Amino acid sequence: MTETTHQKGSSTNTPGGALSGIRVLEISHQAGAVCGRVLADLGAEVVKLEPPGGEPARSSHPLVELEDGSEQSCFWLAFNVSKRSVCIDLSSDAGLGDFRSLVQDADIAVTDFQRLSLRESDRLQAIARDASPQIIWLDILPFGRGEPFEDYPATDTVLQALGGHLFLNGDVDRPPVRIGVPVALVQGGAEGASGALMAYYHRLRSGVGQRVDVSIQECIVWTLLNSTMIWQILGMNEVRGGAIRKERANRFYTRLVWPCRDGYIFFGPVGGGGGVARQKSYDALLKWMAEDGFTDEILTRHDWNGEGQFRIPQADYDAVTEVIARFIRTKTEDELMSRAVRDRILLAPVSSVKAVFDNPHFRSRHFYEPLEDPLRGTSLEYPFRWARLTETPLRQLTPAPLPGQDNERFLNAAKHQSQ
Amino acid sequence: MTDSIFSGLKVADFTWAAAGPIITKQLADNGATVIKVESQRHPDSIRLGGPFIDDKPGINRSGFFADFHSSKLGIAVNMGHEEAARVITPLMRWADVVAESFRPGIMARWGLDYESLRKINPRLIMLSSSLYGADGPWASHPGYGAQGQALAGLHSLTGWPDRAPAVPKGAYTDAVSPRYGAAALVAALIHRERTGEGQHIQLSQIETTVELLAPQLLEYQITGEVPQRSGNDKPGALLHDVYPCKGEDRWIAVEVEDREQWQGLVDVLSRQRSQTGQSLSIKNPSRAGKDELDEAVAAVTRDWDAQELMAALRSAGVPAGVAYKASDLLPDDVLRARGHFWPLQHEEMGTLEYNGPAYRFEHTPPRLTRAAPMLGEHTDEALHDLLGFSQTEIGELRSLGVLE
Repeated sequence: MTETTHQKGSSTNTPGGALSGIRVLEISHQAGAVCGRVLADLGAEVVKLEPPGGEPARSSHPLVELEDGSEQSCFWLAFNVSKRSVCIDLSSDAGLGDFRSLVQDADIAVTDFQRLSLRESDRLQAIARDASPQIIWLDILPFGRGEPFEDYPATDTVLQALGGHLFLNGDVDRPPVRIGVPVALVQGGAEGASGALMAYYHRLRSGVGQRVDVSIQECIVWTLLNSTMIWQILGMNEVRGGAIRKERANRFYTRLVWPCRDGYIFFGPVGGGGGVARQKSYDALLKWMAEDGFTDEILTRHDWNGEGQFRIPQADYDAVTEVIARFIRTKTEDELMSRAVRDRILLAPVSSVKAVFDNPHFRSRHFYEPLEDPLRGTSLEYPFRWARLTETPLRQLTPAPLPGQDNERFLNAAKHQSQ
Repeated sequence: MTDSIFSGLKVADFTWAAAGPIITKQLADNGATVIKVESQRHPDSIRLGGPFIDDKPGINRSGFFADFHSSKLGIAVNMGHEEAARVITPLMRWADVVAESFRPGIMARWGLDYESLRKINPRLIMLSSSLYGADGPWASHPGYGAQGQALAGLHSLTGWPDRAPAVPKGAYTDAVSPRYGAAALVAALIHRERTGEGQHIQLSQIETTVELLAPQLLEYQITGEVPQRSGNDKPGALLHDVYPCKGEDRWIAVEVEDREQWQGLVDVLSRQRSQTGQSLSIKNPSRAGKDELDEAVAAVTRDWDAQELMAALRSAGVPAGVAYKASDLLPDDVLRARGHFWPLQHEEMGTLEYNGPAYRFEHTPPRLTRAAPMLGEHTDEALHDLLGFSQTEIGELRSLGVLE
């Protein structure tokens, strides 16, 4: 791809974006903020409604201290850029009056279960639909609406568990272990953006607004990809593994995480399923090992990625693993990935957050976007260009708002209009 | 007014594996007409991945494939045939959306890159999804979502500090990127509805997944410290761990966020005292060390049935979730009441429960209308009914080997 494509895909040339002119009200904690960020990147004007002084999510983990001594939430800073903030007290009549005025100009309202109880959400929804019958009202919830389950308490980890994913992570001699970032809440937010936009697309064509709800539990079930089918068809529950596991529906264990000189790589050289790519990958590995003097009869004793792989004894898998492990330990992550790309070996470094930040591939694609924030005195690079749209590039980032910084603009305008 | 969100939307679907097909499934399950294009020589690779019905491999027997292809039609076209354009060009004129997930460059080799396609159909929206994205030094490096989650950083943040990082189950980036990809695609449809303009969308599965780590990437830049995996520790929670329950490999995740929930937990766990002799001995969680706290809680939970404990904790307002196995998901009361699973009948596979979408609409419910297509199952039907080919033309294309 040429440099001109980069420029065309860059956010700096075209203001607006696909959703330009669409206004979103966001009453959120974490999942709703992610949803709002996706909509803002796509060009919507996202107005956060916060209680006076700022919303509780401004102090959600991970917390850091900035140079000016203030404490900041990295989660909040990450997912609230490119938005406006209006502070109103939704528990007061005056606040509800302001809400009614604001919602008249809104196309989509985003809420989540951490910020609002269902009762509060329903009360606001009734006002919103009365003032703006075509509004799209999104609730991001642990389990969805409309049944006794809608009130069950939940958190990110609880939803990782109830979606069936937690059980499959970690070493078999210890309890299941969570993915260490709130994947359930973030994916619930992204799914909410997609659902809300579907409803908005429908409204454009039909004139009909409606309520949308997302079940985060269902989002997590989707991350399994094949576990519910494996159970139905084979009657098997998969077994968790840390570095060594039964991949997919295998009956045998293979090593998938390999220590190297300066970290770990993910690699399934043998027994990982069929396919020409896996066979070629293994051949390229053997060639490299031979160059370094790593040869052993076990390496070619079986067709490790062929049809017979499911009948190879566990002892042989263990033996071939030992030889490959000795070789991998002599290489660094960079050496392994460079050669992998050259020879099409199917491995990848288990990248630390630092390695993700420094990743040369992401860097060459201008995935990160610098953002100066004069209010907080920071200059940070955001993971940003998550989709490249030729005609409506993602909108350029602007700093996350201070609490209520846009009160005057939005409340006065709304009042003026409703008079 | 239409009864499904995407009624009337026409989609030519060249995607394969998981990340791409899961996006077009959202369209199909909401009323779009999705034609999946495969060939006998190059079927979707996950047709070759298990689980297979009766544990016997076969091109139309994979449950892995089936789940991502509800509500879609399937045609078989030999894309390498010199006369393939006789089918593909009308298909591209017909389509509102063309989706593909080949290695970058493959569509161009067939003359099906966006610049060529927009000449045939200026309103077309093209979606290209690949693991690494269309450019950059690793663009054509092969790989799967498991490599993707390693490079996206999720893998390094999962597991115990004293052990190698634990692999999160599955090709995780294949599950994350469809959510972002669908949002971008529907935004492009909205833009087209408002302006008449089509466009090309490019996705990298890995980059969409890096969005999940945005807070940690900021934390690293601000503090200079690299966030590390920490087992089931979670800063900010009064109590957070995965505790043993009665039975083989049964676990429950419990997270206490405030004092009220803590009191609820103490009440529930103390109720068992008379039966098991165990009760919770810690009164003030913020004064106890994490290990002491977790051991005290685990000592009580291990005598509980996991489902009963979850029900009791829910009633007390305490967030708790059994670490469900797949065998727990299918009968789960919540997923059942929600209508998550859709039984669909397939000629070779019988009836299987497919996963439906995670969102619900008040007026336009998603509907899974049919089981996954067998390879080339709808070739004649789609060409005749949707693209307007005569039976004679279809016969000729078949004898030429364009259709399979």
